This record gives sequence, C-alpha cells and structure tokens, in this order.
Amino acid sequence: MKKTKLGEFEELVLMTVVVLQENAYGVEIKRELESRLNETLSVGSIQSALKRMEEKSFLTSEFGEATQKRGGKRKRIYKATPYAHKVLQDMKDVRTQLWAAMPAAAAKLNFLMN
Amino acid sequence: MVKKDYLEEIEGDLDELYIDFLDQYSRTKARRLYNKEVIKLLRPVLVKGLSGSQQLNQYGMFKNYFKSSFRSLKNNTLFSAINMVGLAISMSVGILMILFLSELSSIDDFHTHKDDIYRITSSEVRGTQNQMVKTASSSYYMGLQLEAQVPGIEKTLILDNTRVSFDLKAGDKATPITGFYAGASFFDVLSFKLLQGNPETALTEPNGLVLTQSAAKRLFGDSNPMGQLVSAEQDRFLQTGAAAGVDFKEGIVTGVVQDPPHNSHLQFEMLISLSTLDLRAVQEERDIKNAPGNTNYSVYLVLSENAKKAEIEKAMERMLSNYNTDRADNPLVHNLQPMGDFVTSDTYHSTAPSFSQERIYLMAGLTFIVLLSACFNYTNLSLARALRRSKEVGIRKVTGATRFQVFAQFMVEAVLLSVLAMFAGLVLFVVIRPGILNLAPPSLQGYSMFRLTITPVHLLYFLLFAIAVGAVAGFLPALFHSKLRAGMVFQEVSKVKFFSGVNLRKLLIVFQFTLSIGLIMCAVLINNQYNFALSYDLGYTTDQVITIDIKGDYIDLLENEYAQLSEVVETSKSTWVLGVGGDGLNAGMIQPEDRKGRAISLINHIDERYMDMHELHFLAGSNFLTPLVQGETAKYVIVNEGLLKKLELGSPKASIGKTLWCNGQKVTIQGVVEDMVTIGLTKKFLESFVFIQTNQPDQYKSLNVKVQSNDLGTTFDRLEAIYTAQDPVHPFKAALYNDKIRASYESNRATRTIISFLAFLAISISTLGLLGMAVFTTETRMKEISIRKVLGAGVSHLMVLLSRSFLLLIVIAGLIAIPVTLYIVDSQVLNNFWQRAETGVFETVSGLLIVLLISILTIGWQIRQAAIKNPADLLRNE
Repeated sequence: MKKTKLGEFEELVLMTVVVLQENAYGVEIKRELESRLNETLSVGSIQSALKRMEEKSFLTSEFGEATQKRGGKRKRIYKATPYAHKVLQDMKDVRTQLWAAMPAAAAKLNFLMN
Repeated sequence: MVKKDYLEEIEGDLDELYIDFLDQYSRTKARRLYNKEVIKLLRPVLVKGLSGSQQLNQYGMFKNYFKSSFRSLKNNTLFSAINMVGLAISMSVGILMILFLSELSSIDDFHTHKDDIYRITSSEVRGTQNQMVKTASSSYYMGLQLEAQVPGIEKTLILDNTRVSFDLKAGDKATPITGFYAGASFFDVLSFKLLQGNPETALTEPNGLVLTQSAAKRLFGDSNPMGQLVSAEQDRFLQTGAAAGVDFKEGIVTGVVQDPPHNSHLQFEMLISLSTLDLRAVQEERDIKNAPGNTNYSVYLVLSENAKKAEIEKAMERMLSNYNTDRADNPLVHNLQPMGDFVTSDTYHSTAPSFSQERIYLMAGLTFIVLLSACFNYTNLSLARALRRSKEVGIRKVTGATRFQVFAQFMVEAVLLSVLAMFAGLVLFVVIRPGILNLAPPSLQGYSMFRLTITPVHLLYFLLFAIAVGAVAGFLPALFHSKLRAGMVFQEVSKVKFFSGVNLRKLLIVFQFTLSIGLIMCAVLINNQYNFALSYDLGYTTDQVITIDIKGDYIDLLENEYAQLSEVVETSKSTWVLGVGGDGLNAGMIQPEDRKGRAISLINHIDERYMDMHELHFLAGSNFLTPLVQGETAKYVIVNEGLLKKLELGSPKASIGKTLWCNGQKVTIQGVVEDMVTIGLTKKFLESFVFIQTNQPDQYKSLNVKVQSNDLGTTFDRLEAIYTAQDPVHPFKAALYNDKIRASYESNRATRTIISFLAFLAISISTLGLLGMAVFTTETRMKEISIRKVLGAGVSHLMVLLSRSFLLLIVIAGLIAIPVTLYIVDSQVLNNFWQRAETGVFETVSGLLIVLLISILTIGWQIRQAAIKNPADLLRNE
C-alpha cells in the first residue's frame, strides 16, 4: 500500500469524487463528505487534499460552468484517473483480505475486553 | 495569497459556501464562519510561495533589516533600554485597555439571541424636584400587551425588577439567598443553562423555584434538590424573612441552573416563578397586570429579524395614550434598549452594574495619551541619535539603497523594538494584574465582571497593536533618514538640518510635565486627606472594640455568652456602627413638644451601656439610668448639639427633661452630647442626631465587644465559634472598629493608588522624553560647548547654561499645573469631604519639587557627560 501514498482522508475525498461524477467540485465534495462523515470540514482541508492528489496524478481537473451563486466564478470539476481507480481497487482488496483474517484476532480482543 | 491557478475556483467555492451559511445562520455568524474558512485556507499546498526574483530579493532585504536592527539595538544598549522601558510601561496600560474593552464588549455574549434582545425602558418626571427619571424597567401591562398585539415580537420575558433576598430554608438547613421573580419564558429568551428540570415548565407554576448550582449545593449538599420543598425562613431570623415582606412563602425546587457566568449582566442565586406574584396579587385583590404606571418590571423582548425598533416604540406610545391623557405635561415614555447597551451605557438606571460611555471614552483617551507620549519619546530619542547613524544611512545610500528601503529599515527597527517592548509590557501587566483586580472597592459593583484573562486571540491583538505603535513611533525618524542625502552626510554633519518643530516639542514637553506634576500633586493631596480622615477625632473611642453584624433575634444570648469570655471587657448593642453606617442606618422625624419645628435626624437605637463604653462627651444630663425591660417602649433619648440648634431648644442644660416627638412617639431628653462624626467624613446629610434607648432585639444589628487581648486572632476565633453555634446560616462578619472605619475610606485609597500609578507612568515617560531632549541638545551643541570650554567656562557654568532652558519649561509646567490641580482636587476629587485637611506649602509644591529633582538628575548626568569631554577631541576635525 505504501507505494500508492494515498492518505486516509485523501482516500475518502477521492472516493467522493468518484461518487459525485460530473458534480465533483470543491464545495459539493465538502457537502457530500460532511453529510456522510457527520462532521464539519473546512474548505482548506478539502482543497489541499485535492491539490495534493492532483500532483500525485490521482485526479485530473477542468473548469466547469459558472453560476450566479458563485459570483460568476467557474467551478473546477475533478475526475479520478484510471490509475486512481486501480489504486482504490487495490486498497479495497487489501482491506478485504485483512478483514477475512480478522475473526480469530477479533474474538480474542472481545474476550480480553470482557 | 492563494496560488494564481487555484484562485478562481477557490473564490467561487467560498462565495457559494457563504450563501449557504447565509441561508442557515444570521448575517454576522455567516461572516464569522466565512472568515474562519478563509483563515483555514492558509496551507502550504495552497498558498503562493515566495517565488519570483523580486520577492526573493525583498525577503533577503528584510532579513538584513532585522539583522542590522538587532545590531543597532544591541550597540546602543542604553538607548534601547530607555525606549523599551518607556514603551513597555505604556504598552502594559494599552494591554489592560485592550483586555478591558474586549471583555466589556463580550458581556452577555453567551445569549443565543443577543443581537435580537431588547429591553423596554421608561422615562418620566418623578418626585418633588421634577427630575427626569430614566429606568431600564417598564410595566407588566406593557409586556403582556406587546406580546399579544404587536407583530415582530417573537418572545417576551417579564422579570420583577426588584432583587429579593431572604433566608431560604429546606429541612433544618437555611441559607441567605438573593434572586428575582422571573417569567416562564426565562430559559427560552435568555441562554442560561438549566442543568436539571424542564426549561419550558420550570417557572410556570406558582411557587416554583429554580436554584443555581452553588445555591443548591449550599442548601442540599450532594442530594438531589429536584422536587424538594423549601420555605422562606421565618422562625428565627426575623428581619430578613418576614420583615422584608417576601411574597414567596413556600415552594418547590423545579430546576437547577448553572451559576450565571461572570460576564452576565443579570446575577442571581435563585429564580422564583412570576406566577407566584400573580397568585399573591389575586389573593390580595391587587391588579398588577393592568397597571401601566407600575414600572417595576424588566421586560425583555426578542424581536424577529424584520421587526423595526421605531414601529414598536410607536405602538407602545399608542398603548399608553389612554394612560397619558391625564398627565399630558408628564407623559410616560417607553423606549427599546438593545442588549449590547445594557452594561456599556448608563443612560437608564438598572439593578445591574453599568459603565457610562463617557467613562469608557475617558479611559481609552487617557491610555491613548500615555501611548502617544511614549511614541513621541521614541521619535525624540531616535532623532537625537540620528547624528550617529547618519553615516550608516550614507553608506547604505551610496551602495544603492532607495529611499523606500532606508525608510523600511528604520520602520522595521521601530516595530522590532515595539514588539519586544510589548512582551516586556505583557510581563509587567501580569505582575500588576492582581493589583488591578483588587483595586476596585468592594462597594463598587461591576468590576467583578472582569477577569482580564489573556487568550491566544488577544495575543494576536497585542501583536497588531505593538506593530501599530512601532509604526507610529518610527514614522518620523524613518522619514527623516530616508530624506538624507548621501553626499551631505559625509561632508558636514552639523549642517544637516534636523527636525524643525522645536516649538512643538517644547509645547509637548510642557504638556507632559504639567500632567506629571498635576498627577503627583493629586496623589499627595488625596493621601494627605486619607491620613487626615483616619486620624480625625471622632468624638468617641473605638480602640479595642470589635463590631459583629447580627442577623437574627439571638443578640442577647450571644451577649451573655460573650460576657463570660475572659478577654471581653464590655459589650454594647446598637442598630448601626457610628462612623461607618451599615445595614441598619436609619433616620427619622423629630419634633418638639408643641410640634412647631421639625428636624430629620439620624437615629441609632442603643442599649444603656453604649454611651459609657464608647466614651461620648456629655455636655449636660447623663446616660440612660436603668435598662429597659424587654418589650418596653423607649422613653428616653440622648441628643446632640446639632439637634438642639435645629429645634431651637436652648442651651444643653436647659433642654434636659424636655419632651420630643420621635417618629410619632413621645420621649424625654435624658442627655446632650457634643457633635461627633456620624457616618464618616465623606457624608454629612444630617447634622442632628438622636440616640434612642431600646430593648427590642430585632432593632439591634450590631454587637460591639470591647476586648483586652494580646492575641486578636484567637479572640476572633472564639467569638466566631460562639456565633456559629447561635447562627449557622449567616457567615460571621466581625471587624475591629478602627479597621471598619478605615474600610469606609476604601474608595479614596483606591483612587490614590490609581492616581499614583498614573503619576508614575507620566513621570517615567516624561523623564525619558526629557532625557531624549537633553541628549539631542548636547549632541548638536557639542562644538559650542567645546569652544566655550576652551575659552575658560567651567563644568558647573556649562551645566547651568545647558539645563536652564529645560528647567524653565518645567517651572512653566508647574505654574500651570499647581492652580489647575488645586482647583480640580478641590471641586471634583475631595469635594465629598466636609472636613478637609489643610493644604500646606509642601503639598502645593510637592509635584513640582519631585519633577524638578528627577529632571535635574537626568539632565545633569547627560550634560556632565558632555561637559567633561576633552574639547580638543571634538574640535580637531574641523
């Protein structure tokens, strides 16, 4: 997993971008994640994650349309690259495997805690 | 700030977000959230780097500025130290002011509806003197009518404006308590946090009572107070329970509220449901809900966002039109006052503490003057040193520095010094902070609202403040240096024309010294009066007497037990403490037998031992002969000379045995005493005085115990132990008589301390300024001094020559300050004393002398330095 260098928060943002598809721009990502995580996020944290992932070529972006609400400024729509899709898939596989290996350990943990 | 490529996108995001916030919250909150988001954007990934050749250059340049500033500050240790001290002292005052103002503006911030809460105020002419009375209260009637009839009012809260205090009893425990009768919407309108109970119903039912956490703890300990029965204690502590006439008799605890935060304008220990009052009114067939003229209620309104203040005020005027028809020349007028003004304006009288706007402006103004003085000193000193640094500037210019760059360098230096001074000031502030918090006399409400705590946000303010101060202080020197021409600097230093506003500077020096002299004089005069008041002959003895506050009917028991203690010499009882006043202080109408004259006089109920114990001076007659039987009405009085004069009763001897009417009761004059100090030297409303003999325990509120003891601490402990056995409810309040008298002048002592502190500030800063001037003068006149020396002038002659002009300025300042200060102190500061200490020659010239002495030392030292230099060294270069 190390070579992909995708942080936990970055992964969440990336998945949100995939989920939102054409609608994946700054504030919308923030809203979606906030409602899913049930916590407040700042514009800064989302933006810096997006910029970092773009540098690491997980994402590409292009300008979308401008709306009145945005004071005439254009949106930047993000799109996950095929590479990103592959990394996400890899991470999911690793997790599944780990979960499969868990029950014994988990049972032990439960036992200890009781 | 943000990288160019991202700018459009992020700006768009923020705009969109802001509009979302606007939908959800109020305008101010949306703004705040927006700003928070912007600050959170400051991340390395997003922020523009220091790229581009120009920026890099400037960065290097500023680095150089810092380095050279540090070096120059280090090289001129004395110069920097003087400036630092001056700035640090004034900074500490600035810091105090910033904290004070920011805490003042944050009062009541915890209320969710703060921006929308208003209270109704009343203005009408009242009393015999036709005075306009403005109060922050209105009527029950108006509160109900507005809620029912006027749109735009979301919530209404009615509170009885009078603070009630009595002893609250639960089981066999009781505790003194204060609070308000409050309407059911209390927790809906105001954001006090209810810990237990239902905020909607806690104050609906009659006799429902909400206690604060600490009051509940006092009464119930750790057990659950909810649903417990409580009553207003009436068995034993009569004056505080029944006599106060509380409408609350018995009730049930329906809630526990968190203690009101210290920054709340409303302070209470309990809240009783307003319906308790309604019920009593119905039982007594009074109509409190339909009396527009009964403005004894606080009515709080929460207005909806589009409600207009003016319209509601109009509506109130309409509702009062019926009531006002009978009194057209004196209408009752209601206005609305926003919550932000509750404490920061004293236009309307309220039970909560308030600060007048003028006072706040005055304090801010004084701070500003102090700061400006310190800035001016920095400017002055920098210019004085300019000669030495002009070569440095010359070299910078020759190597290609632009005017702006030289300017920037000197600004950086000033700001750096100012920031360092800020930290020193912060330390100073932390040192003086406890002193400031303890300064306010206990009687002065309001200062308990302040904590003066420093939060990280404040540190940011302080930093900005320091930068601003540095910029102001450094502006002139920086401008001056940037104007220098390189060629000139190297040629002839002495020809460079320095700062030309010499007259302005003289004026400022006179101003600074007038302030210093005046403040020192003030402090000396107040101190003089304070000592005078303490050593004033009261007309009775107070030594070794301990006075104990009594809050119940157990005074006789207590007296008997105290009498058995070995260290107790004598005891006596009185309603109040002569020379101090206190709880029981009262006055009454005295008339001669034929009821032809009348005198309002102070009255003190005493027992038969009082006069002897305190050794009052009899002019005629004697003390009360026999003690009264309990319950027997008073027959004899002892009066003072003042009363005889007022009622024209003749000589003391002749008036013995004459009959008087005292509050409608017939009494005989038993003795006449000399006039004495009745309630301190600050208050004298009434000249005439009457002692009435009484033996009703509920009239005594002070037990006076004369002790003979080498260890007062133990004596107090013993007295307290016996007291606590009699009265477990009220705390033991006892003090030496003399300490009590001292405490009654506490506010004068506080004034003296504040003024001494201000005087210290003023003198420090003006002395530093003077030093700057002295350095400046001597340095520019170096050649002249040298030539004079060569021609044979002695050191002392030179010193007189150089310091003459300064001393003249100080004498001028003294001539202005002395009469002005004498007048101000006489008419404003000490005008409440009816016996004034004499103002001697020493007090009059004290300020001038101190300032002169300090100045001579300061200037003399600097001028001596110049005068003892070898003239050959200085003249050689010419």
